[in-house]
Amino acid sequence: MIVWLKRNMFRSVGDSIISVVVAALAGWVVWQLLQFVFITGRWEIIQVNLKLLLVGRFPEELMWMLGTSILALSFWIGAVASSSKRDPDKKTSLIKTGFGLLSRFGLIIALGAIIIALAGTLDAVLLGIGTVAAIALGRLVGLARRRIAVLAKIPWLIWQILLVALPLVMIVQTLLVSDLSEWGGFLINVYIAILSIALAFPLGVFLALGRRSSLPIVRLVCTSYIELVRGAPLFVLLLLAGVALEFFIPSEIAPGAIFRAVTVFTMFTAAYLAEIIRGGLQSISKGQTEAGKALGLSTVKIIFLITLPQALRNVIPAQIGQFISLFKDTTLAGAALSMLELLKIGEAITKQDDYLGQGLVYESLGFVALLFWVGSYVMSRESQRLERKLGVGIR
Amino acid sequence: MTERAYTDATQIKGGDSAEPIVTMEHVVKRFKDFTALKDINFRVGRQEVVVVIGPSGSGKSTMIRCINMLEEHDEGRIVVDGTELTRDVRNISEIRKETGMVFQGFNLFPHLTILSNISLGPRQVRNMPKAEAEALARSLLERVQIPEQADKFPAQLSGGQQQRVAIARALAMKPKVMLFDEPTSALDPEMINEVLDVIKELARDGMSMIVVTHEMGFAREVADRVVFMADGEIVEVGTPEQIFDNPKEARTKKFLSQII
Repeated sequence: MIVWLKRNMFRSVGDSIISVVVAALAGWVVWQLLQFVFITGRWEIIQVNLKLLLVGRFPEELMWMLGTSILALSFWIGAVASSSKRDPDKKTSLIKTGFGLLSRFGLIIALGAIIIALAGTLDAVLLGIGTVAAIALGRLVGLARRRIAVLAKIPWLIWQILLVALPLVMIVQTLLVSDLSEWGGFLINVYIAILSIALAFPLGVFLALGRRSSLPIVRLVCTSYIELVRGAPLFVLLLLAGVALEFFIPSEIAPGAIFRAVTVFTMFTAAYLAEIIRGGLQSISKGQTEAGKALGLSTVKIIFLITLPQALRNVIPAQIGQFISLFKDTTLAGAALSMLELLKIGEAITKQDDYLGQGLVYESLGFVALLFWVGSYVMSRESQRLERKLGVGIR
Repeated sequence: MTERAYTDATQIKGGDSAEPIVTMEHVVKRFKDFTALKDINFRVGRQEVVVVIGPSGSGKSTMIRCINMLEEHDEGRIVVDGTELTRDVRNISEIRKETGMVFQGFNLFPHLTILSNISLGPRQVRNMPKAEAEALARSLLERVQIPEQADKFPAQLSGGQQQRVAIARALAMKPKVMLFDEPTSALDPEMINEVLDVIKELARDGMSMIVVTHEMGFAREVADRVVFMADGEIVEVGTPEQIFDNPKEARTKKFLSQII
């Protein structure tokens, strides 16, 4: 330890000075932060408004549906995670597995614990326990498929569809029963982000392929689209979506703010994704296409079986980066389309009668930032895992 | 160009009455203002092994790439197994099913296992059921002597092993003629022989082949005929003995004196 310190931090006088100054600064920042979090911070503002921050004005009597959706989703995640192939001979110790789980999910567990503690209700505790149980149950079902011969015979695709059906039905049901305009808070940020990612990805792939098409008209359309959308600030596009639609459609039948936000985020992200994916396609050598041609594969099969899978894998970090930025940009929808998303509510609660003018903006924005940071960090970590997992064959 | 006519006059295997597997007549290929192939006339007989030699830039690779339409020829006629090459998409895919190609740089699909690399063509082009295609792939891996590598990825194999997988991948389509484009040029010296051995084995089994190579010993051993190309033309065609021991053309003599 001392040797390490000497070698890495106090090699020369200059090094030592830098080390001491940086350490002092870091210590001071951490000290201030700890003081704020545990002593001076007035977290009751978060405690009182917790529901508003997380789900907005979501109807109280339908909360159970939201809870059930989360449970169904957890079950699905558990099942999918355990259905991936793993070396059956590789045995890991229980401690190692536990440590691995903690480093992967520790952050989410900690955030969940903080939220449960802030909520302080029995329902929240039950939901927390239920989520863990649902993930465990999902894993058991996933393992059962590999162990029990009858289940193993179900084709992979049908199995996946069966698994995803449960959370999907719950979410759609929740959407149908509740009024989407009552959704708010972090829920709406997550909802917009997930929907936009799911729509932007195929559109981005399509645009990237279109820009490389041998048909001049397709190429022109895709290139113009990409360059036009990338040339405009996202905020301007969101503002436009808020007002421009009324020019064409009477406001009574015009789609709601969420629909508009998802449309803009999808179009915007797809344009950037298209360029990222095009870069990935360009990194694939011509020999790959030629090998496919020599086998007699059609152009479409060469793209979807050979070049595209490799291209998408090569640009995973950039793609996830784009998705993370989309996730955080959903906060712009609050200002541009006056949607009650997390940041908007975070600001609004500091102006409530009880807290007005008391400078509680640190607590409120701190909580908002924490939620986004945990979400983004988890996405980033999972993308690195995915990259490693798919990286087996990289040259 | 009177002496050009003579290149086509050489006997193909099985005699001139036999139907050739590949026929090229007056084939011309241009890249912008550079003419890569100038009036190529050539036939390959069934079960014949033709080795193409010549200095780099002489059009050897371009010639065999025209046979499976990786390059489109500008003039002349190419007939493969009785089918003339046209720009019709269906025609192109028919020709490519009948011709197998092995590249200098292997060009295996890095994201697929060895087994999937080999079974991809039969499954996707010939609509073979998965189990059958994988059984075929395993038997081909036996044939190129690396059955134990089936579940690995290309990057985990040596160059020689990768090229043998590439040969197995081409054979999986059950082609009528195999095209080899400098199959050993990207290999470390100690791996060249393991690949050449596989090609020799194929020759013994009666596969029709056109091999572009710089391995003269190999050419002498397996070739039924050797073709010498320079500057986009076929300069001389003959048995290995004729070309290597008693070349007639000045350019052939010069090339052979430079490499031996």
